[in-house]
Amino acid sequence: MKEKIRYLIIGNCIAGITAASELRRLNPKDEIIILSDEPVPGYCRCLITYYLGNFIQENQLFSHSLDWYKQKDIELQLSTKVVGIDPKNRYVITNKRKKKIAYDKLLIASGARPLFFPGVSPHPDGILGMRTYEDAKRLIALADKGKRALIVGAGFVGLKTAYGLIHRGVKVDIVELLPNLMGRMIDAEASHRITERLTSHPLLDIRFNTSVIETVRINNRFRASLSDGTEMDVDFVVVSVGTRPNIEFLEDTGVKVEWAIVVDEKQMTTVEDIYAAGDNTVITNLLTGKKQNIALWPIAASQARVAAFNMSGRQMSFPGDIPMNSVDFFGLWYTALGEVQAEGDGIVHKIFSNDRFYQKLILKDDKPIGFLSVSNVNHAGIILSLIRERVPWKECKKHPLASLVPILQLD
Amino acid sequence: MKTFFFYKELCDMCKKCEIACVEACKNGSELTRKAAPFIHIVFGIDGPTHIQCRHCEEPPCVDACIGVSLYKGNYIVGQSEERCIGCLMCNMVCPYGVPQPVYEMEKMAKCCFQCGEIDNPPCVKACDRGALKLSFPQIELKKIRRQRVEKFIRR
Repeated sequence: MKEKIRYLIIGNCIAGITAASELRRLNPKDEIIILSDEPVPGYCRCLITYYLGNFIQENQLFSHSLDWYKQKDIELQLSTKVVGIDPKNRYVITNKRKKKIAYDKLLIASGARPLFFPGVSPHPDGILGMRTYEDAKRLIALADKGKRALIVGAGFVGLKTAYGLIHRGVKVDIVELLPNLMGRMIDAEASHRITERLTSHPLLDIRFNTSVIETVRINNRFRASLSDGTEMDVDFVVVSVGTRPNIEFLEDTGVKVEWAIVVDEKQMTTVEDIYAAGDNTVITNLLTGKKQNIALWPIAASQARVAAFNMSGRQMSFPGDIPMNSVDFFGLWYTALGEVQAEGDGIVHKIFSNDRFYQKLILKDDKPIGFLSVSNVNHAGIILSLIRERVPWKECKKHPLASLVPILQLD
Repeated sequence: MKTFFFYKELCDMCKKCEIACVEACKNGSELTRKAAPFIHIVFGIDGPTHIQCRHCEEPPCVDACIGVSLYKGNYIVGQSEERCIGCLMCNMVCPYGVPQPVYEMEKMAKCCFQCGEIDNPPCVKACDRGALKLSFPQIELKKIRRQRVEKFIRR
């Protein structure tokens, strides 16, 4: 038995940090190393659009200082990218002169990166995704010079980026392939209401059912050709059409990958002593029972905690979760839980709305499976617990706090 | 780890706890003053019930906080107010429906024991019916169980 066990964590966002701090709590004497490919210590990835819009200062963006790592005795290696893993001899290979770092237990929390598509590929002068601190810095520099931006994709990231850019005085056009905002996390009515609010802003324009065919660099600007035939000259382009997991270094390791890393309930991959958590994994969707990538901060944190417990030899399991998200922008508060676009047999919609707010609860086989709410979001957590526990509608109405949630009082 | 216990059969909805909370929060931060009280007695489905932060052992709101504003301290779930950006994630995951938005400040607010009395907070002191208690779950649940057994024997 070795004196000290070495826990190695790839990735320094919420999954990596949560796992490290839990591992430290459970194993006060062991060695913990975090490898990060970014040059800065822990920061809140979800806040970079707030930073872009000047709603928060830089010090508010950073959540874990170098002192925090020192105090917890966690070794943080910045700007270190993992290029390969040898599970047999238990070491990872980094990009720094192919240096090898041995491990006893490994956690892969490498996250994901923005997805690009043919015709719109990354360009050093101004085609980028919005994912990291460096992206935010680049975008701030671009927004200070340019006055017109194109955002491809009207998902949560795209809209929050647009909100940030508008606050810097940039005219923003959003192009979305689907007929609605936010992909699968919205219905037609909510999309309509939010779109109306967004486009009432003079600096924002949204085109639905449109895609970008290609972008060409002309006269220090980008000319984007859209599928509806228009051409648009912009200073820079932000692509937010989705993400793909950072798992290239897993080739030939035997770790099973189905789009993202497959993990069991203990967050262990198919290779012993290699665990994974965060945006680079597929988890069970509790509503459909299918494996799905749900890239969400709270889920990454819970997964990491479960992984840390199991890595320390304790028992804990992560059953899965449901898709959800909530956002505040343009003076609007929006929350969506579960499957909000379900249609067909056995589906009942309960709608509670007036001209100021809109709430909808979706029931399948008499059990709530989805909920969305525009502008009136109080007590959404109560409904989340009802959806997670698959409580029948009649029982939902008997929830001790049901009298607070108007939608639960509908017939 | 202490948490709040509420005995609905003892509560007569006098709301003294709410008043005590507001009084005690008067010396707190601006957000606290605006959002107080942090305990609400409402008439639920089967009698009075309380909406109040339980300061959970494994708080889902802390995991959900994308700004790392909420944190789990030794005894309480606290909030670094300057870090809060009002994203509603805590509201979305709290099964007790606790964190509430303070719209004019674009921040979320919840009980952070700004009254400063972790052992015997003003809301509990104000309850002269004994309906609200702050206690260790192991001790309190044992008491409840014993009471039930005694009741059963007496019958």
